[in-house]
Amino acid sequence: MKSYAVFVSLIFIIFSAPSTGVGAVKPFTEFIYNPGILKAIDSVLKVKAGQEAPDFTLQAVTGKAITLSQFRDKHNVVLSFVPAAWTPVCSDQWPGYNIAEEFFDTHDAVLLGITVDNIPTLHAWTMQMGKLWFEVLSDFWPHGAVADSYGVLRSDGTAERVLVFIDKKGIISAILVSDINVRPPLESVVAELVKLDSRD
Amino acid sequence: MQAILSLLLFAVLVLGLQLPAPSSSAAGEAETVPEFTLIVPDNEGYRAYLGLKGEPGETFSLKDIDADVLLIELFSMYCPFCQEEAANVNSLYEAMLGISTPGFSVKIIGLGANNSAFEIDHFRTTYDIKFPLFPDQDLSIFNLLGGKGTPGFIGCRRNADSTYSVVLRQSGGFFQVEEFLNELLQKSGYNQKM
Repeated sequence: MKSYAVFVSLIFIIFSAPSTGVGAVKPFTEFIYNPGILKAIDSVLKVKAGQEAPDFTLQAVTGKAITLSQFRDKHNVVLSFVPAAWTPVCSDQWPGYNIAEEFFDTHDAVLLGITVDNIPTLHAWTMQMGKLWFEVLSDFWPHGAVADSYGVLRSDGTAERVLVFIDKKGIISAILVSDINVRPPLESVVAELVKLDSRD
Repeated sequence: MQAILSLLLFAVLVLGLQLPAPSSSAAGEAETVPEFTLIVPDNEGYRAYLGLKGEPGETFSLKDIDADVLLIELFSMYCPFCQEEAANVNSLYEAMLGISTPGFSVKIIGLGANNSAFEIDHFRTTYDIKFPLFPDQDLSIFNLLGGKGTPGFIGCRRNADSTYSVVLRQSGGFFQVEEFLNELLQKSGYNQKM
């Protein structure tokens, strides 16, 4: 009877154990919300190239308070506004920029990622991307105030997909406003980084 | 009684270890890979690897690739899972080289979903990828092949008329190179194993 019980238990263990072979693939995340195709651009810029970039202080996911003007006379700065956390990560810029640090380093540029999400949300979202080399800032409260100061806050409270290139004097070198549904190609980022070199 | 139970247990253990893990693909599909064209690469090594006869800049289709088994990787430079999987895919490429002979070849190409040529080149250099990568910036090929996110893998077997049939579809990465390659070979109808 005892042998029978052991036998049955072992059978149960064998067939209930999870497979570790090819069939048990890494789970492809189900946590991303697809908002569908959105209105390409839903805001009006309040700044332009040649103007001083509006200063701001925002909280980073790492806990630091980051002020734009702290980089004045030290580094070029690239602000990367993206619409919102938990929208398609694999089509968003930051995981790509995470393996493009060399381009920013070459042109002495600090990258700051900004969304209108709160810190806990940004923390959970960016954890999926691996360890990011750049700071991610929350423009949550007052909601979207920094995005609004640049004129890139959309009517639904999310930010546009915008890259703002700022030289070491704090002057905007270029603003790339992309169709929110389309990611700007990396080569366009590199092209603007190159232009920052001539503004030193 | 005890001896019988022990024998039965042994048999079950042996069978349990031999049963293949369920795959994400449906077995027995004879779906022909849809026609699409790519640009013949400038890199002579890539042209030789794929057995392409055309000149750089010309177009080619899968029919022009000299491979008995072809794995198409759908990836994106922006996909953190693809970044994480890159080393594993490199190992898979090496394993394919190891198992290929002049009379039988298993090859791999990568299609950069929504990636430009600059972006796939950056991905290639970042992860030291030795097999050919091609941009699919407008996602036309990704959609044609029924891509469902990245990374994704489509395993194909060459037919007598030089078309390819899909034998395996995998969404997400794979854990073990040897098992994945063996599954690809098995579903392509080849008994060769690593």
